[in-house]
Amino acid sequence: MPQVQQDQTSSAAAAQEAEFLARLRAGDEAAFESLVESYHGTMLAVARDYVKTRDVAEEVVQEAWVGVLKGLDRFEGRSSLKTWVLRILVNTALTRGGREARSVPFSSLAPAGEDEPAVEPERFRPPGEAFAGHWNAYPGNWSSLPEEGLLGRETLDVVKAAIEMLPDAQRSVITMRDIAGCSAEEVCETLELSEGNQRVLLHRARSHVRAALERHLDD
Amino acid sequence: MTESHDHVTCQEVVELVTDYFQGALGPDEADLFEQHINFCEGCNWYVDQMRTTVAAVGRVREEDVPPEMRDRLLAAFRDWKERK
Repeated sequence: MPQVQQDQTSSAAAAQEAEFLARLRAGDEAAFESLVESYHGTMLAVARDYVKTRDVAEEVVQEAWVGVLKGLDRFEGRSSLKTWVLRILVNTALTRGGREARSVPFSSLAPAGEDEPAVEPERFRPPGEAFAGHWNAYPGNWSSLPEEGLLGRETLDVVKAAIEMLPDAQRSVITMRDIAGCSAEEVCETLELSEGNQRVLLHRARSHVRAALERHLDD
Repeated sequence: MTESHDHVTCQEVVELVTDYFQGALGPDEADLFEQHINFCEGCNWYVDQMRTTVAAVGRVREEDVPPEMRDRLLAAFRDWKERK
């Protein structure tokens, strides 16, 4: 009965969150510190979508925490604490955005069906030929690579550089999903994306990182 | 998807991987996807590459809170506590 189990897990999580919230409201510094630590990376990544520079993004994150403290006693728990904090961040960034915003608003960076294939079309047999749409040459078998190659410092640097190069919306989504471990719902609520657009952005982001890894590993 | 809907091509598989991981494919599409990767070594390796990619991204550490920011935020928290 997976449904029942899921309900039990989510009610256990809700109870844990309520207890954590009570500690925060009672002024427990350790609770606040752990909250700041666990959300900082995600908040910084999201803030960078809305403002021009990293310095301003850090200021936005700090301002958002002040907003969180102001609203903490009024938070009703209708969303998760995380989503609530991230929404405050986005609103802070948008307010700040009046002065510092990028010229292109975030929503217009969401995909609108433009063509951005995960793999270059030249790597597949062209339409009209036998086996159209099948690989010309197979991609590499990475499970045959030595582990050091995949887990090493250099590979990690390639991954980080590839994430840095991504368009803002893609960088936010992959950071939230694959680094910070946010759920798809949390990403959709925070960035006001549809479920479908969230998946397209995640897919493009992962495909770009895979391509960067491929260039690195196949050398 | 193809017009015939009786198979997917490699070029289509590479666009469906994230939806497949996420369980967002319909049952028929998921079947076609799995049939394809069971028979196509290239796509099997590609899907493995995408799994490896997600795992590699997961190893990137999030940025730490700069110490000055932590101090300022803790001061703000104490301030908030006193004013309650």
